[in-house]
Formats: sequence, structure tokens, C-alpha cells
Amino acid sequence: MKTIHLVISLLLAATALSADAPYELLLKGGHVLDPKNNLNAVMDVAINDGKIARVAPAIDPIEARQVVDVSGFYVTPGLIDIHVHVYAGTGMRGAYSGDNSVYPDGHTFRSGVTTVVDVGSSGWRNFEDFKDRVIDRQRTRVLAMLNIVGHGMGGGAIEQNNDDMDAKATADMAKKHPGTIVGVKTAHYRAPDWIAVDRAVEAGTMADIPVMVDFGSFTAERPFEELVTKRLRPGDMYTHMYLGSVPMLDANGKLRPYLHEARKRGVKFDVGHGGGSFLWKQAIPAIQQGWIPDSISTDLHITSMNAGMKDMTNVMSKILSQGVSIYDVVKMSTWHPAQQIKRPEFGHLSVGAVADVAVLGIERGDFGFIDVRNGLFKGNQKIVAEMTLQEGRIAWDLNARAAQDWMISYREQQRARGRGRRGAAGAGRGTAGSTIPRRP
Amino acid sequence: MRLSTLLLGVLLLPAALTAQTYDLLLKGGHVLDPRNGINAPMDVAISGNRIARVAENIAPTEAKQTVDVSGLYVTSGLVDIHVHVYTGTGNKNSYTGDRSVYPDGFTFRSGVTTVVDAGSSGWTNFPDFKDKVIDISKTRVLALLNIVGKGMAGAEKIEQDMSDMDPKATAKRAKEYPDTVVGIKSAHFAGPEWASVDNAVQAGKLADLPVMIDFGNFHEARPFQELVLDHLRPGDIYTHGYKVQVPYIGEDGKLLPYLAQARHRGIKFDVGHGGGSFSWKNAVPAIRQGFWPDSISTDLHIGSMNAGMKDMTNVMSKILSQGVPLYDVVKMSTWNPAQQIKRTELGHLSEGAVADVAVLRLDHGRFGLVDAQRARVTATKLIVCEMTLRDGQVAWDLNGRTATDYRQAHGLM
Repeated sequence: MKTIHLVISLLLAATALSADAPYELLLKGGHVLDPKNNLNAVMDVAINDGKIARVAPAIDPIEARQVVDVSGFYVTPGLIDIHVHVYAGTGMRGAYSGDNSVYPDGHTFRSGVTTVVDVGSSGWRNFEDFKDRVIDRQRTRVLAMLNIVGHGMGGGAIEQNNDDMDAKATADMAKKHPGTIVGVKTAHYRAPDWIAVDRAVEAGTMADIPVMVDFGSFTAERPFEELVTKRLRPGDMYTHMYLGSVPMLDANGKLRPYLHEARKRGVKFDVGHGGGSFLWKQAIPAIQQGWIPDSISTDLHITSMNAGMKDMTNVMSKILSQGVSIYDVVKMSTWHPAQQIKRPEFGHLSVGAVADVAVLGIERGDFGFIDVRNGLFKGNQKIVAEMTLQEGRIAWDLNARAAQDWMISYREQQRARGRGRRGAAGAGRGTAGSTIPRRP
Repeated sequence: MRLSTLLLGVLLLPAALTAQTYDLLLKGGHVLDPRNGINAPMDVAISGNRIARVAENIAPTEAKQTVDVSGLYVTSGLVDIHVHVYTGTGNKNSYTGDRSVYPDGFTFRSGVTTVVDAGSSGWTNFPDFKDKVIDISKTRVLALLNIVGKGMAGAEKIEQDMSDMDPKATAKRAKEYPDTVVGIKSAHFAGPEWASVDNAVQAGKLADLPVMIDFGNFHEARPFQELVLDHLRPGDIYTHGYKVQVPYIGEDGKLLPYLAQARHRGIKFDVGHGGGSFSWKNAVPAIRQGFWPDSISTDLHIGSMNAGMKDMTNVMSKILSQGVPLYDVVKMSTWNPAQQIKRTELGHLSEGAVADVAVLRLDHGRFGLVDAQRARVTATKLIVCEMTLRDGQVAWDLNGRTATDYRQAHGLM
């Protein structure tokens, strides 16, 4: 009993001593992957006032008010998922501007994601409704690309209506919300003409923002090759890069040369997994021949969430399973997408950057990864989000690494109550991090 | 016509004799089915949306598809009787809106096939809830009606309005939707009166349904002991079972005797974890002294989903961590809650029952499980959901157990 009291006193003393320490939080002992800054080494990350305060080897724990042991884990910038559908809550059935969308917060933090881009669920006519219902109320940072269709993804004929594809109105709305609207989207277009793509590019040019294309129906009249080698501008993105309809391999199983041409022009290729847009038949030979993604994204919506996609770390694990390094997988999920949406203040751990941080573990075992036609690839590594910080605050903590053992917490709380306060704040130094990753 | 029918019958006969009887066979798992007292390695065969057979060694030749679930536990789909899923209304800061979540993104990945929304809606807005959420969800969504007509539209004022606690109107609405409304809820009541509890019980009597209580503010004027010993009826449910305010342990360190008395009366104690209603300080000594939950539930909402609660299997793992056997943890998450809400067709794997099934894995390692006060228990076992079937259909398949090697699936081999 005496020993326990001594330990508690020591812990409290340490907490008190560090009360005016320069950092709020220190992530200690992790392996930092920060591709923007070429960091790929064991380093500590100190956070203060919602910002990255310092990244260096062996930062003294005495300098932080809370220390979390993340040894054995990777510490990366908060993940950026540039293809999601989160315009939920409108009551519209069967549409991504409604019931096919989900609210982001239940899907993001548990998968290391701190920023998402809703791509085209809303258009210029309903973006402000989307902003009011979702963007302004979620903890996740939600950015958006405007659909070139004014009504967004209202479903059916609405998305085919050329008369509602107004480049100027779209660009005007984008300019009204700079930073939140980060691009223009075209999607689900079935007609054999180029109107949807060309209007989107026109809007993108007027607002000086990139375009993301879901090519809809692949028709002979508008070849995919022409889309990426001619119609799109450098910096524009094609999402659903491993979709079955993309002409990927020639008769001999070799990667078609136009793809490299397109990339050389500056067109970006995004995963956009979704419920129907990722086939191992395409992804495996493509990646084996070096056709790797520029960015990894989920295409989160009600169908993909419980199918082969699942969540961001699952999609990242799929790319990892094909031999792409964890460093590159993280780059495709942080710094690359941040640049693609022209928000270079995100996606890295530079001092002064907002403290959006993911702590990722790699589990080893037998894992199955399924594509959109229930095709199975068996892998032996899986990325799991152990902790997520948003603006310096803990938004997810799978194994309670930032918490205290319950016996200690309660004794502290009782003491604190005795002093007339309401509970002791935060966890003390040296108490966190006694857990190891969850493993199968 | 008759002849052709006969002919057709004759032609089909040999086919029927060799046909695969079952659509899906879960092979090699360990079945935990407390309703039927099963705790043994068994195969589970499914035809259409029904459990067709549970037995040792069902031949794979009898099934169109066989899934190897060896090393895993096969249970009835989990029944989570405390969630908040009345979202999509645009109401800010309330469980009739932004504080609720759509269920499907949380349930199947955690083995849950049935949820009960516990009082987010009341009799006036239940039809809207049904239209907006219940009817479009793949999860089976049942509901307890709040005794407040406007439901959980705001804890500050609306939920305190005693003039909006109408037992008759609540019971009438419940009887209009007998397939969906399974009880009455009282929650968040701040006043010292018993009006909220007593009106809920009155509505429960009128509709012949159980009541679930969140006790709101704990007052000296209305002691918790009196709630569970006098005001509630046998079969009524107290949720937030291990909330820090519930009096558990006496000066002598022993469980207070009124708890056993209440249970003896037939009061059910539900976990209802939530964002603020699970405290190791109560749960650890209570469970060690034998005061186990009757039912395990999450109290899923935006404040609990990313905190200590996380999901159903995480909450089950917490109870497991205190030494409750997995069989009992499963019972508290299937058959017990099904009985509590009087939906005894759910929560078991009897032949003919709807094929809602969870396939669970028990991971071994060191896992941190945190309570509402950010206090941690380090556990050595964690329940993880491998597969979920809803109505016989695969609703979650973590590791692609029902999938085919991609080369085969795409005709590459």
C-alpha cells in the first residue's frame, strides 16, 4: 500500500513538474514517415497549441506535459482521403446527395484519416446546403470538389443533364469558398460526347483548381486514352485507376504506353476504390509493371464501406500487399493528395504545421483482401490506425495509449476531489504505452 | 397441364436428390448458441434467409458454398439494444439529429445485425424516424419510444417538459408499430420528480412493453434504489449499468444488497456504455463480485463511437476482460437482449430462425480498454468480428472468407 502511494506521489510530482513544459504532447519512440520532409527514421514528435512543435530524435520527456509511447509504430501526417461521399442527411434516396453518402466522423479517425474530400456529391446549387449540414458540423476536415452538374449527384437523369453543367456558375461558387472547394468533379456520365469532361475542365480553368474525373460509361466515341493524354490538364486527376474498364494491358499483358505518357503530362492517377472500381486483375499486373498510384483514396459510401473497400487503412494495405513500400504508401495518402488538391499546408509534419497525425501499426499475419468482384488476394501485412490526432487533440486511441491505468486514475481522482477539483486532467508521464498492437 | 406438371416433377426428381440442399455452410466453427445450450464445434447450414441445420460434420457436398470458419466462434447476429440512429434531420446537438449516426457503418463490422434505438424519437416523430432511417437501413432497426413526445430533441428544455410525457399517446403509437416498437424509454430527466419514470412505466403497461431507464440526474429526492426496487416492473431495464453515479459498493467494500434484490425482482441491468456511462471503478468490483450485466449494449452515438466505447465487440471485450466467459458474453449480446425486448425469434441459431449470424475471432495479446473517465484496463483478449450474415446474406467479411482467389474469380486460371 505504501509503495502504491509512493508511486502515485511520484507520478503526480512528475505531472506537476512538467506543468509548464513547452509541449502539450510528446509522441515518443515512433518511426516517423514524413515524405514531404524526407523523414524515414525513428524520431519523437512534439505537439503544442495544435501545431507540430518539433520533430527530432530523443526529445526529453520532461519537456512535455503528456508523453505517449508509440515505439513500434509509424508516426505519419494525418491521412488525406481525396475521394469520399459524405453529403448525407438530405433524405434523398438512392443518391450520393443523400442516402448513399455517410457522415465522415465514424469512418475517418478510426482509420487515421483527418481530411477528406467529398468529390462531387454536391454541385454549385446545393454545395452551401452540404456545407451547412455536414462540412460545418463534422470534426473531420471536410473539403469538396463541386460536381459540374449543378444539382450534384442527385441520381439518374439529373446527372446526365447537359443544361445543368454550367462552368461559370461552378467556378463562381468555387471562388466563393476558396480552400474548402478544392476542385471540380465529373462523374457517372453516360453519353458518348465530351460535354461533362470539357465543362468540368472549363470550370477548373476559370477557378484555377484541378478536376477529378470518374469517366462514367466507357464508350468508343470518347476513348479513355484521349481523356488522359489530351482532354485533361496537367494536375487533373483520374480516379478509379484500377477500374475494370480502364484499358491497362495490351494483348501481351504489357502496360499500355499511353499511361506513362499521361503521367508524364502531369495527369494524376488516384485509386478511388469504391464499391465497383478496384480489380486485382488490373491492379496486380499494373503495379508489378510500375504503374503505382499517385494517390490512395477510398470512395467511401454506403456500399463500399462494408464490402472490399472497408476503410482507408484497408485500401492502403492492398497497395502495400503488392510490394509498394510503407513510405510510398504513406506518401500516396498524405503529401501527394495534399499537393493534388493544392493544400500544401497539409500532409506533412513540418514544424508549425497543423498537428494532424496518424499513428499506424503494421500487423503481421494472414489477411484476405477482396476486390469489387469478390476476388481474393491474400496478404501478410495490414495497416491499422493506433491513434489519430486532429489539430493536436486525440480523436482516436485504439488501445488507450494516452490513458492511465484505472487504479491510478481513480486514486488521483479521489485525491483531486478531496482538493475540491473535478478530476485530474490528462494522463501522467510514464504511465502510457504499456500496450502492444492488436494482432490476430 | 396435369401431365406436364407430373412430367416436370419426374424430370426434377433426380436433380433434387443430388442437389445441394444448403446455400451456405459455415464449416468447422465453434458454435455459441445460449438459447439452445450449444457450446461446441458444429457446422451451421443456411438455406435462403434461414438457419437450416446446426450439427456436427455437415458434408460440404450438401452446400452450394462452404466457408471455412475453423478457429472462429459462430454466434447468432449480435443484438445491441441501446443505440442512437435517428439522424439526417438537420437538428443540431440532439439525438433526433446530429448526435445520432446511421447504423449500417457501425453494426455489421462488429457482428451486430439488430439494434434498438433507445428513445431518440418519441410518439410524435417516430414515423419520421422510421421513414428516414429504419426503412432504408440494412441493419434491423427496432425502437424504444421516448416518453417525451418529441423524443431526444434537446436535453435542456424539450426533454424536461413534463406536459409532453403522454403515456396514452405513446402507447397508442407503440401499438401502431408492433413489429418495430419494442419498448418505452425515459432519459436525461433532470428534475427531482418521478414523472418521467412513472409515465414511461404507465405507457409500458398500456402497450404491454418493457421500459428502459436512463436515470438522468441522480437526486437524493429520487434514489436509484427506489427506481429499481419500487418504480420499475419485472422485465424493465436499467441501462448505463456501470455508470459512476450508480451506488455499487458499500463501506465494507461489498456489493450493496439492493442490487441483488432488484435483480431478483426481475429488473434487467444493461451496459449502455456510451460516452459517459461506463466506469471501471464500478464495473471491475461489481463483476468480480458476481454482478454481471444482463445485456451488453453500446449506446452508440457521435460522442461514444470514437472514444472508449468504439463498437459492440469492444464493449463485449471489456466484460470478457473481467473474467466473464465468452459463452456468457455472447448470451448477454444475443439471447438475453432478444428476450428483454420480447423478440424471441431473434438471438439464436435454432433451425428455422432468420439467418443473422456473427463469426467472431478471439485475438490474444495486450489490449487497452478505456472507460468514460479515460482510465484503462489492459486486457489479454479481444473479440473481433470476422464475418456477419444478415438475413442469410454476407454483410461483412473482414478477410474475404467467402471470396474466391482473384485469378479464379476473373478467369485467369
